[in-house]
Amino acid sequence: MHDEPDAVTLLEAMATTLSDSVVPALSGGVQHEARVVANLCRILARELAEAGPDRDMYAALLGHDGQLADLAAELDHVIVSGKAPPETLAVLLADVTRRAEITKPGYTFTDGT
Amino acid sequence: MAPDPAVIAAGLSELAGCPVTVTGAASLGAQRSTLFIDLARPGGVESAVAQISTGAVETRSVTAEAALITTVGRHGVPVPTVHAATDELPGVGLPAMIVSREEGRTIPRHILRALPDRAAGDELARQCGTALAALHAIAPTEAPEAFEDVSPAQFVELQTQRLELLGRPRPAIRFGLRWLADNKPAPVPSTIVHGDLRNGNIVVDDDGLVAVLDWEVAQRSDPMQDLAWLCLRTWRFGSNNRPVGGFGDLDALVGGYEAAGGTFRQHAFDWWTAARCAWWAIGLAAQALAFTTGRTDAIMLAASGRRVPELEFDLLDQIRRIAP
Repeated sequence: MHDEPDAVTLLEAMATTLSDSVVPALSGGVQHEARVVANLCRILARELAEAGPDRDMYAALLGHDGQLADLAAELDHVIVSGKAPPETLAVLLADVTRRAEITKPGYTFTDGT
Repeated sequence: MAPDPAVIAAGLSELAGCPVTVTGAASLGAQRSTLFIDLARPGGVESAVAQISTGAVETRSVTAEAALITTVGRHGVPVPTVHAATDELPGVGLPAMIVSREEGRTIPRHILRALPDRAAGDELARQCGTALAALHAIAPTEAPEAFEDVSPAQFVELQTQRLELLGRPRPAIRFGLRWLADNKPAPVPSTIVHGDLRNGNIVVDDDGLVAVLDWEVAQRSDPMQDLAWLCLRTWRFGSNNRPVGGFGDLDALVGGYEAAGGTFRQHAFDWWTAARCAWWAIGLAAQALAFTTGRTDAIMLAASGRRVPELEFDLLDQIRRIAP
């Protein structure tokens, strides 16, 4: 058990402090860096708040369970060998959509473009 | 860490052959720092720009880049004038180039905000097409020796090698490279290709395109590579319904390109769109690796690791759209 506030709450508070107090007081290159750090805090808060389902998706695609790193390495080899199942694109697209929505919410909404 | 400003000014003075004063930082990017400088010439003070390569990853000869900029400028491509270039700035040791200062906007969101209407954005896209047609019309033998010839097959091979260097499996990129290998466009004669022409590497004023900047990844390759990179989603800065840099329609870019003698090839354009998504996904992951392996302490490069999913999405989304 960690102390309160929990990590997600703290990261969101850090992002708010950086965006509302620190960024306006800076200029130039360091201001941009502070903006990037605030954004990283928000990304990490979203990462911590969601349990990554990528392991289950890879396991279903490969037909057996395992550690995420092992499953990813196996899928990598299956793709290289040209034996990827037909649903591989759909599974990978769902996985990168989930991850892109964590790093940049709204990014994968393509609006037909 | 960045070198001492006084040491940089002394090095630039030696390179320029006249006293140089650093007046400000235009941008401190992940790969190069761009400084505003004043050259104290015998006839008066001249504003200029110094670019100092600080890249922890993937750098190439700046003198070759300078020679290329001068060549393409002679052929009508809008570029800054190169004043001097060196692969080792005296006292600093980093590659550096001094070029003319082109007045206009360079920050992508400022460029988009300053456009009065859609027609102005389309005109800018047309001008980009005209500039690319002029570039692609130059005999590729006019590029310096240092600029490699990269066919679609070689491009995929190079990206596969770069992917291996990341040291962890990335099935999405692997899938993309496999698809690219299986769906290559018909080969065409290579032209000189800028390789990084996008919103962010252009100078724009109220009349449109002023100059094309940042020629450090130029090469000989399929000309469609340049049009595809200019239209990547990641360079639209939120204006997704304007494919060309977030400011113009593809029809405008292609119209300008073909009116100036270029030939647009749809499949090659679609293929290079996916190919450059893979290239940039790997590039961003490589920047993050430079941080995790201690080759840089730049937070900007660390942050690049969290942009990889966007490009992985763009890559697979593009394949989903065009897959037979």
